[in-house]
Amino acid sequence: MKFVTGLLQVAAITLLFLLGNAIANYASLPLPGSMIGLVLLFLLLVLRVIKLEWVEQGANWLLAEFLLFFIPSAVGVVDYKDMIGGQWWKLLAVIALSTITVMAFTGLTAQWIAKRRKDVPGESSSHSS
Amino acid sequence: MNLLLIPASIAVTYFVYWLNIKCYNRWKLVILTPILISPIVLILLLNATNTSFPAYYKGAKWLGYMLGPATIAFAVPLYKQFDVVKKNFVEILCSLTIGSAVAIVSSFLYAVWMHLGSQLSNSLVPRSITTPVAMGISKVIGGIPTLTAVFIIITSVVGGLLGTFLIQLLRIKEPSAKGLMLGMSALGAGIAKAFEMGELEGTFASLAMITAAIISIILASTIFPLLQGDLLL
Repeated sequence: MKFVTGLLQVAAITLLFLLGNAIANYASLPLPGSMIGLVLLFLLLVLRVIKLEWVEQGANWLLAEFLLFFIPSAVGVVDYKDMIGGQWWKLLAVIALSTITVMAFTGLTAQWIAKRRKDVPGESSSHSS
Repeated sequence: MNLLLIPASIAVTYFVYWLNIKCYNRWKLVILTPILISPIVLILLLNATNTSFPAYYKGAKWLGYMLGPATIAFAVPLYKQFDVVKKNFVEILCSLTIGSAVAIVSSFLYAVWMHLGSQLSNSLVPRSITTPVAMGISKVIGGIPTLTAVFIIITSVVGGLLGTFLIQLLRIKEPSAKGLMLGMSALGAGIAKAFEMGELEGTFASLAMITAAIISIILASTIFPLLQGDLLL
């Protein structure tokens, strides 16, 4: 029974994906259907049109196997062997450098704001500056 | 024979993934992440059995299709954690806007600096965004969606490997900051890593991936065309 419920919930979420795609097509939005579907599902939950239990199990299944769905497109790299060829080390360098840059900026900004917010209301607890 | 290939490619992909997850859970090494090892194993299998990628993809694309519904499923944790989001709204919004802008600009600048050419450079730009969204953006800005998907995987693995080291180096102590930087930069593997550190870190990492996707869509269609126009022509 639990299996059937989960399956139906996955089907419902998939319908939302089709709806998202249709909206993106119809309104010629530059957004992927999945993002529109995400916002739709979120709004449906917040506005209490649907209950969390109606989608929770199916959503958890999909999230648990999230990495599986990446694999087929990753295998597609075989078709671009010639294009990547001798440039693979440059690509790796760009990705590694840029990833480090992004991490540093994101982490330091977040930490700076989190600390400031903590310092403001609790002035007595911290004796800095 | 051709008809059999469709269920077979789905079944084999799932089996390789399942086996890979077992190994990953056993040894907990980032390098064993299923988004890196499974595609490599499958490529070797295709070579060994003389199967072309289009023949394989005819069936396996249905697994890839489920990435759409799986992205929508992120609405559920987002809804459940809505109070945390509201409480840390400024921190989340500011750090991810800066992170997304840095991701787009730095990927492109480093790529131009390395003379990678416009197609590869454009494909690198959305590499810090969750795959279904990134592939869409890649197409719009003149990249190759499949290559973008591969660059995202490399990003995720590199980010997962460097994450812990950078957190120590930069002395990041706040769980929210750790989660946000991992989710922003390393996506799937980053979220997995963040959940290993703690529930709060993991939640923020998942939040980062979704929110960054929304912010990036806006940035990629506003600031990137300017950058592209200035540097590529």
